[in-house]
Amino acid sequence: MSAEQVTDGHGGPPTVTVKIQTPRGLWSMDEPKDAKKRPKYPISTKVEQVIADVRSVFNFVEEDSKYTLYRDKEALEPQRTLASYHIKDGTLLVLSVQGGNA
Amino acid sequence: MSVPAEASLQAVRAELVAAAAYAAAAGLPLDSRALATENLRFFVTFENSQGERFVAEFDCREYPLHPPTVEFISEDRSERGTKRLYPNGFHPTPCICMRYNRKAYNEKGGPHADWRLLDWRLPTTNGIAIDTLALMVSDLDSKIRQSAGRMG
Repeated sequence: MSAEQVTDGHGGPPTVTVKIQTPRGLWSMDEPKDAKKRPKYPISTKVEQVIADVRSVFNFVEEDSKYTLYRDKEALEPQRTLASYHIKDGTLLVLSVQGGNA
Repeated sequence: MSVPAEASLQAVRAELVAAAAYAAAAGLPLDSRALATENLRFFVTFENSQGERFVAEFDCREYPLHPPTVEFISEDRSERGTKRLYPNGFHPTPCICMRYNRKAYNEKGGPHADWRLLDWRLPTTNGIAIDTLALMVSDLDSKIRQSAGRMG
């Protein structure tokens, strides 16, 4: 097991903690202060769940917008798991938000 | 109605905190070094899917009452608004045809006679309202990352 894929200390599945920068701020283990969720996930979590969670934290409710999670230049496919991308603990991801076109 | 330059500067500086954090995380160089009351401009460099660079100038006069004028310029900032400076996928005027771009409005020579500058925070379609500088950067980055080639 790699360092970034540690168990929760209680024999549970390996987890990974990420940070996600959005246009409305950073989601991390301590930001925003009043967040009801934190970005710590079993590595089997799909990217689409992470996108749904970060949207809820920052109130991105519009369904017609396009939300994409990036690691550097790489767009993460919603149906793939965090494990499939070998996401390391502390990795900074970016939530890209695209509005409509005129 | 106009906005004092000092008020615009304060509004832009306040919003640039989030915009700069987003740009840094997304790997987008943001240059606001010359920002001042007499120069309410900052610049963001984007890359398309082929790694071609596109520099956007955000001219924030009258902000936040009115949206910025967002225009693609050359890297040396000597040329602006020509098709070869635009990524593919934007309005062929050429123009970034979004409510957050002052150039898109008919009263500023743009294609949209159906939009009012004061309504610039409305969603362009049914999507999210692009109503902050950070969201503008994100929207442009998302579109440019997916595009290939230049308009002209």
